[in-house]
Amino acid sequence: MELSDLFSNLALGFSVAATPGNLFWCLMGALVGTAIGVLPGVGPVATMALLLPTTYYLPPEGALIMLAGIYYGAQYGGSTTAILINLPGESSSVVTVLDGYQMAKQGRAGAALAIAAIGSFFAGCVATVAIAVAAPPLTKVAQQFAPADYCSLMVLGLVFAIVLARGSVVKALGMVFLGMLLGLVGTDVNTGNLRYTFGISDLFDGIGFVPLVMGLFGMAEIMANMTNTERRDLVTSKVTGLMPTWEDLKTSAMSVLRGTILGGFLGILPGGGAVLASFSSYTLEKKLAKDPSRFGKGAIEGVAGPESANNAAAQTSFIPMLTLGIPSNAVMAMMIGGMMIHGIVPGPQVMTERPGLFWGMIASMWLGNLMLIVLNLPMIGLWVRMLMVPYRLMSIAILFFCCIGVYSLNNSANEVLFIAVFGILGYFFFKLDCEPAPLLLGFILGPLLEVYMRRAMLLSRGDAMVFIERPLSLSFLILAAILLTIVLLPNIRKAREVAFVE
Amino acid sequence: MRVKGSQDLAAGLMFVLVGALAIRIGADYPVGSWQRPGTGVLPLILAWCLIGVGAILTIKGMILHGPSLLEGQWAWRPVIMVTLAGIAFALLVDEGGLVAAMVVSMAICALGTPETRWKEFGYFTVIMCVVAVIMFIKGLGMPIKVFPWN
Repeated sequence: MELSDLFSNLALGFSVAATPGNLFWCLMGALVGTAIGVLPGVGPVATMALLLPTTYYLPPEGALIMLAGIYYGAQYGGSTTAILINLPGESSSVVTVLDGYQMAKQGRAGAALAIAAIGSFFAGCVATVAIAVAAPPLTKVAQQFAPADYCSLMVLGLVFAIVLARGSVVKALGMVFLGMLLGLVGTDVNTGNLRYTFGISDLFDGIGFVPLVMGLFGMAEIMANMTNTERRDLVTSKVTGLMPTWEDLKTSAMSVLRGTILGGFLGILPGGGAVLASFSSYTLEKKLAKDPSRFGKGAIEGVAGPESANNAAAQTSFIPMLTLGIPSNAVMAMMIGGMMIHGIVPGPQVMTERPGLFWGMIASMWLGNLMLIVLNLPMIGLWVRMLMVPYRLMSIAILFFCCIGVYSLNNSANEVLFIAVFGILGYFFFKLDCEPAPLLLGFILGPLLEVYMRRAMLLSRGDAMVFIERPLSLSFLILAAILLTIVLLPNIRKAREVAFVE
Repeated sequence: MRVKGSQDLAAGLMFVLVGALAIRIGADYPVGSWQRPGTGVLPLILAWCLIGVGAILTIKGMILHGPSLLEGQWAWRPVIMVTLAGIAFALLVDEGGLVAAMVVSMAICALGTPETRWKEFGYFTVIMCVVAVIMFIKGLGMPIKVFPWN
């Protein structure tokens, strides 16, 4: 690709992203993201689900820019809680707790917060460029795909999501199938037949994406969190010395760089994303350190690496979504939901048909990162105060936003009933230790898979061999089979379990 | 024979049950031809996969040690109250208006946890109602009644 193309594309992106309206939505997204990142028990998936109906009222560019901002904003916010109160604000900052909180106890909270923000910013900048560079060639490749290739690619994507999901592989597999089945409920677009609607007219158009996620992620989260009434102990109410010392910067520079590269790579993988990236980066830093025993006792590398990695991964996970239209994790499924609300069909054609939207969103990520680092550190006092809002009030507010959000989509009270049902379902999944994220991916990919399967079969005149005759499709399927076998082998499964426990 | 991992067993049975139901209900969905796969093809494939996965989990739960279903607390009170709150909102919002739906559903939700302090809840509800009316009805122009008599 020509370098001048890259610049002209980015220039187009910035011209879209820098309009006052879009700057405002970018800021809103980043702020909301930081806020929910700070709050433990409220994740980006649930928040994006809550705001999805509202984005209906925004222009598509503003809507997607804001939704994206929530995701990477949450990565910034999560570290604040981890460092100051020994609780991960986000699951991707679980490892930040280990060394970040120790640093805070030693009176170096400021340095830890600063290095987390600087690392995140650096990672964000690199990842933005990575998306801009990688997206056009990948899109070109994707445009050559035949329906059979697409079909196999989705199978591969789902397998990746299973392999990289936490917890039991078998359960994740079951959740994917369950999600795909749920995705098929409603009218079959090809034949007009109804499937699994039980005569309920609200199901004729299929199960709504928004009620499903709000129930599974929003309502179920309230139910689960209302029982554990954790105490929140602030290590310090005042954060002083926000500037890290020269020594700190020197020690963590390489960690930031390694974290960025590792996270950026892991983010692209389906099922990867921020959580996996931060865990892997921590393990890597510990392995590479001259004195591993410092870790867990306030090693700044243990904050710098994972925090850079989770932000890099949060952003590069947009690559498969933007170029192939395939969500790699639950958050990207939500982005696709946001696109579909605006009638945009995700896939490689988005870049050519709506370049303003595509490049505007990428450019907004850099602007959003800039806003976050400028706003975040001075606003830490405010975020800390927000942590004082007790969960008993927060849960009520979340419940209300779930209800009104779903209602506002179609002004249908019946859809609010659906979230009540999905909420119970989500709680049972939680108790059965079944992760809902694979279900969500199955839900999005199930109907798509069916469309492409049918197209492939029609084109091949009913010859199922088409899936293994096309080299691209065959290689996707082989890769999927290898991955699935490997992960089901007993000894590798044990190693994987150990890796996730660490 | 004693069950060794009731969590896996329960998850397995759930998958098998859903798969079996999907096959039962989907039995009369047309299968079509190879060239034009019908409505029933993918559901059938998925349902059998689900049963397979469920069977593996069920067997695993029977013979291998795993977490028990009863581990940790079952939060019946929040589960019931949060669900009821959602239902209350759905039933009230069309006829009763936004404020009534909010007050009732939020109060039911507050009953879900013993930590609720009712005075604090009162102030909070008033603030939430004002914010919601301004934001959703005045701001976004959603066609919801504020009060039943509007």
